[in-house]
Amino acid sequence: MRPCGGDPAPRTRIAVLSVIAAALTAGISCAPIAGPRDPSDPWERMNRGIFRFNEGLDRWVVEPAAKGMDFVLPDPVERAIGKFFDNSSIPIHFANALLQFKPVSAVEDLARFAINSSIGIAGFFDPASHLGLEAHREDFGQTLGVWGVPPGPYLVLPVFGPSNPRDTVGLVADSFSTVYPWFVPIYVPYAIWTGRMLNWRSLNLDEIAAEREAALDYYVAVRNAYMSYRENQVRDQEEDEADEDELYYLD
Amino acid sequence: MSSTTWIERKRHGLLRLVRTAMAMLVVVVVGFAAPGAGAMTESEAGARAVIAETVEQVLAVLRDKSTPTEDRIRSLEQIVYGRFDLYVMSRLVLARNWKRFSETQKAEYVEEFKRYLTNSYGSRIERYDQQEVNIIGEREEPRGDVVIQTKIVGGEFEGALVDYRLRKENGDWRVIDVVIEGISMVSNYRDQFKSIVSSGGPELLLEKLREKNAAGMVVDEASAQ
Repeated sequence: MRPCGGDPAPRTRIAVLSVIAAALTAGISCAPIAGPRDPSDPWERMNRGIFRFNEGLDRWVVEPAAKGMDFVLPDPVERAIGKFFDNSSIPIHFANALLQFKPVSAVEDLARFAINSSIGIAGFFDPASHLGLEAHREDFGQTLGVWGVPPGPYLVLPVFGPSNPRDTVGLVADSFSTVYPWFVPIYVPYAIWTGRMLNWRSLNLDEIAAEREAALDYYVAVRNAYMSYRENQVRDQEEDEADEDELYYLD
Repeated sequence: MSSTTWIERKRHGLLRLVRTAMAMLVVVVVGFAAPGAGAMTESEAGARAVIAETVEQVLAVLRDKSTPTEDRIRSLEQIVYGRFDLYVMSRLVLARNWKRFSETQKAEYVEEFKRYLTNSYGSRIERYDQQEVNIIGEREEPRGDVVIQTKIVGGEFEGALVDYRLRKENGDWRVIDVVIEGISMVSNYRDQFKSIVSSGGPELLLEKLREKNAAGMVVDEASAQ
C-alpha cells in the first residue's frame, strides 16, 4: 500500500478535499440556531442545508439514473456488480484490520480476496461466504475510533452524505491508500466511484423511498442511524451499559 | 474507490434500520440454531422461547400464500401486538417528554404510534419472504432485560444482525426494542420525536402521526387492490 504523505495528491483527491474543506469552513462560520438542539449536532443548521442539497441531487440526478439502471439490468446482475466492487475494497479492509490489531480478521479478509478474485471470477461471485469466511468491513474511520479518537459532531458532507470529522479523515486516508488511481487518468476513479454508487442506489430504490416516506423527520432518522451504526462498528458489538440505562429506563 | 465503499457502508446502516423493522414483522424463519448447551439462565431461556415461537408464527402466516395479503397483514399485526410491549416502547420513545403529554394525549399517542409502526412496515410483506432467521445468542442485562441476538440468513439481507430486547411484564416476556446492526428503533424514533416535540410540543407530534397514518391508510387500500 502506498503511503499517503510525500507524493503529490492526484487531482481527484484534491477536488474531494476542497469540497470537504468548504463544508468544514461553512460549519465553523455557521451561527448557532435558536431553540433546543441536539448536543451531538451543533452544526445542525448547516448540516440540514447540505442534507437538503444532497436530497435534491438524489431526487433529480442520482435516483432517476439509478432507476434507468434498474430498468436495464436485472437485480442478480446488479448484485454481482456490487460484489465485484466489495471485493475490490478488501485490501483496504485488510490494512485497517491490521491497524486495529485484528490479525484473524486480516487473514480472513486476505483469504476472501484470494478466493473471490479467483474462483469467484474477479469478485463477481462470493464463494468465500459460503465457506464461512465473513466480510470484515474495517475502514480508517473505525481504526481511529479503535485507537480512541472521538467521532466529533455529526457532519453532513456534500455528495458523500452523513459523516463526522473522524470519519471524514478516515474517508480521505482510505481514498489515498487505494493504489490504482495513481496510475490512471483522473476520470477513471470518478467513473468507477459513480458506477459503484449508482449500482448501490439502484439496488436500494424501494428501501430508500420507503424510509423517506415513513420517517417523521428523515434528517434526524438518518443522523441517528449513522451515528449508532458507526459507534456499533467501532465497538464491534460490545455493550455500553451507561447508554443502555439512559435508553431503556426512565427512572 | 475506497470512498465509495465507505459511503455505501454508511448508507447500508440506514437500510438495515428499515430492514430490521421489516424483519420484525415479516421474516420467514426456517432454521434455528440449536439452543446453547447449559449456559443459559432461566430468563434467557424464557425470552428465547418467545422469540422462537413468534418467528414460527410469523413464518406460518407468510407461507400461507392462499390467504389474501390484507388478511395476512392483519394476522401479523395480531402476532406483533401480542409479543411487543407497544406501551412500554411508546413511553421509552418519548422519554422525558412523556410527562409533557396529558392523559388523553398519551392515550392517543400510544394508539397512533402503534398504527404508524404497522403502516410503515406492514404493507411490504410480499417482498420479504425468502429469508430465514437464526437465533445466534442471548444475553441477560444487569437489570433483568434479555437480549436475543438473531441473524438473517439468505435473501437480500443476508448476514444482517438483529437483536430483540425483551422485558418481563406480569410474567410474560415482551419485546421492547429491535436493534438492527446497532441501530435501535427506540433510539431512532426517540431522536425524531424529540426534535418534533421540542419545536411544536405534544400536539405537533400527534398531528404529524395522524397525518402519516391517514396517508398510510390510503397506500394500504391502493396496494390491496
